[in-house]
Amino acid sequence: MKTSDHIVFIVDDDARIREAVSELLQSHGMCAIAYGSAGEYVRAAKPNLPTTIILDIELPDINGLDLQKQMAEGESPPIVFITGHGDIPSSVRAIKHGAVDFLTKPFSDDDLMRAVRTGLTQDRRARLERVELAGLRERYETLTPRERDVLPLVVSGLLNKQAAAELGISEVTLQIHRRNVMQKMAAASLADLVRKAERLHIPATHSRRAGEK
Amino acid sequence: MTIVSKSVSEADASLTRALKIFENMPGFAWSADPVGKFTYISPNALAYLGTVQQDLDPLADEDEFGWRRVVHPDDYDRIAARWRHCLQTGDRYDTEHRLRRADGVYRWFRNSGQPARDAEGRIVEWYGTTIDIEEQKRAEATLRDRERELSQLVDMVPSHLWRLTPDGQPTFFNRRMTDFLGLDVANMDRPGISRLEAMIEAVHPDDALEFRHALNHCLATGKSFALRYRLRRADGVYRWMSSRAEPMRDHHGRIAQWYGLCHDIDNHVKAEEALRERERSLWQLVETLPAMIDCATPDGEPIYRSQQLREFLGYNLEDLDEAGKPRLAATLDAGVHPDDLAAVKEKYAHSLATGEPYARKHRLRRFDGEYRWVETRAAAMRNTEGAIVQWNVICLDIDGEVRAQEELRLAQDRLARASQAASLAELSASIAHEVNQPLAAIVANSHACHRWLSAEPPNVERAKITSERIVRDANSAADVISRVRALFRQSLEPRKTTTLQSAIAEARNLMAEEASRRRIRMDVDVESNLPLIAFDRVQLQQVLINLIRNGMDAMDCATRDKIIGMRVRRTGAVVRTEISDRGQGIHLPEKIFEPFFTTKEHGLGMGLAICRSIVESHGGRLWAEKNEPKGAIFIFTLPVEPETAS
Repeated sequence: MKTSDHIVFIVDDDARIREAVSELLQSHGMCAIAYGSAGEYVRAAKPNLPTTIILDIELPDINGLDLQKQMAEGESPPIVFITGHGDIPSSVRAIKHGAVDFLTKPFSDDDLMRAVRTGLTQDRRARLERVELAGLRERYETLTPRERDVLPLVVSGLLNKQAAAELGISEVTLQIHRRNVMQKMAAASLADLVRKAERLHIPATHSRRAGEK
Repeated sequence: MTIVSKSVSEADASLTRALKIFENMPGFAWSADPVGKFTYISPNALAYLGTVQQDLDPLADEDEFGWRRVVHPDDYDRIAARWRHCLQTGDRYDTEHRLRRADGVYRWFRNSGQPARDAEGRIVEWYGTTIDIEEQKRAEATLRDRERELSQLVDMVPSHLWRLTPDGQPTFFNRRMTDFLGLDVANMDRPGISRLEAMIEAVHPDDALEFRHALNHCLATGKSFALRYRLRRADGVYRWMSSRAEPMRDHHGRIAQWYGLCHDIDNHVKAEEALRERERSLWQLVETLPAMIDCATPDGEPIYRSQQLREFLGYNLEDLDEAGKPRLAATLDAGVHPDDLAAVKEKYAHSLATGEPYARKHRLRRFDGEYRWVETRAAAMRNTEGAIVQWNVICLDIDGEVRAQEELRLAQDRLARASQAASLAELSASIAHEVNQPLAAIVANSHACHRWLSAEPPNVERAKITSERIVRDANSAADVISRVRALFRQSLEPRKTTTLQSAIAEARNLMAEEASRRRIRMDVDVESNLPLIAFDRVQLQQVLINLIRNGMDAMDCATRDKIIGMRVRRTGAVVRTEISDRGQGIHLPEKIFEPFFTTKEHGLGMGLAICRSIVESHGGRLWAEKNEPKGAIFIFTLPVEPETAS
């Protein structure tokens, strides 16, 4: 088993399931760690690696769905639910809250592996996004207050003269701020800037049409 | 002269002799003149009276004839009148009266006198005798008294006495008989009918023939007559009589009279009849009671068995008798089930020894060889001293009950299992979980195993480990399944073709206790003559009990009017069963049948889903409707068996 670039957690109160699922994941060359209860999992130290949790709904200490809800408030890894009986309301609720999949025992190798891989991919992407976002935030922090005023207007698609009028400054001054913003945000184009602003949840406050009025 | 003197002396001598006769005859002599004055009274009379002749001279005003003082005052007027008459007419004087003796005692005398007349026919003198008849009078009086007594006896004896001529004609009825018949012998004579026939008319028509035959036979043979018959009283009421008659024969041996005695035994006969009737009805009671009755001596030997018991056993009291073996032991050995015999014998022995009542249930062999459960109870009957005189035994065939109880117990067991099944059904999720866990592990392990074996190079060690786990988990799954199967085994019972009635009754009985605890009334209305239906009893009970219990739960908040209605009707090719409640009703009539839908706090929502699947597996339908005025009504139909549907 190669040094792991990922980790799969298994939370199930049945040792046979923990054992079998671990074995199956290992046979697929995956690294798995199993816990017998939600509490054990929550308390455990987790390596900073792309992760997926295979979570049994019927846990002795806490319902898997409730655990999902708790974790959603933090940075939760993707969850693949496994359950003894697949009742529709539970599965709907689980999927609504972002579960990767909802598998009824006994589940097939393919279903489980597909779900786990999906989960890992999601998490890998989420982690990348989180890293990216952290970089963007750092860059955003370097903007001056006036540059932070300019950014929403630019990503809203206003023409320079419109934005300048909005802020009550000259078009030339606006152009200087805009260039600085592009540089500081490492935006290759306006479109790139727009995307980055979106990631930072900077609202496009003005519509171009409204500004033309 | 000599002749004269001789004749004078001869006359003197004859006078002297006459006087001697007068004075010595056993009676008094007297003579009186034509007016009644005594001219002579014999000395023995004067001696009797204790007086002298002069004292008997008439006294003008006080004493007409001079003998008032010596005659009994009660007789005086009568004989004085007679004497006066005779003196006037010259009729012969003949009276009986009492005369006072010197010591004051009166005695009866007969006084006779007749006149002597002269040539012209004039009365010159009366001559008479007075004879003591006291003894004769007494004898007469005694006889009269005796006769009166006898006739009183005959009349007063509290029986009828009668007399017949040798050819049977009544000649005498005593007064009681006359009073009874309202008919005297004297006025029995009617033209064209004999007295005997007239008497027979009073005999009850049903008894008349026998009476006539019996009497004629006796008259002909001279044998004593004895018969019971009903005789009509004057008021028309017939009363039972017991009659006897004996012939009286004269010294030639010929029958002179028949004397009969007849007494009223009506009360006696009625009492006897009533007693016999009571005995008969008691006997019938014992014989026809729907119980087997048996009586035994103080030491337990059977002496009587009622018809029911004889018929049950198929043999009579004496049939089992063998020399040297007590009847009780023979009966017990022959009848009691071998498994019960020792205990029964012990209990009998105990009761016989102590006098305590006996009660025991055991199996008894019927005439056809079938052992049936009976309950036997025995109690000692004691005399006033408290000693046991008899054992009275009652034996009831309780086979049906015992079997019904057994059935009930089995049904309750089945219910317990059914309700267990119901809760298991609700816990089916958890059962599925139990089975699913090892299955899921097996599947995962199998895939892992496959992966290990498919790897390059194959990881045989890991494959071995996983395959061992597969075996382990598969066994564990099999264990769960066999446990579940054991729980559900009863529902593998074959479907029986029967009517719903018994299943409904069973469900009602099983829920009766819970209903009364929850103050719920169960109204059951099952149409009679329901057609046959094939169903799994346990499963159908599960449906019924689920629906009943749901209805009860729905009425938990209600304070009154808590009624579960169970109504079964045939409609066309189905039998329709309705279980109604007076609860809150249903808001989502279709949703309730979905799995995991529940309105209850502690329900998993499987009950109705399972009920529906059971009903549907029987080819029926289950749905809910609104009950009027409130509550819900669950209705399921089951198809009628094709053979009986037509």
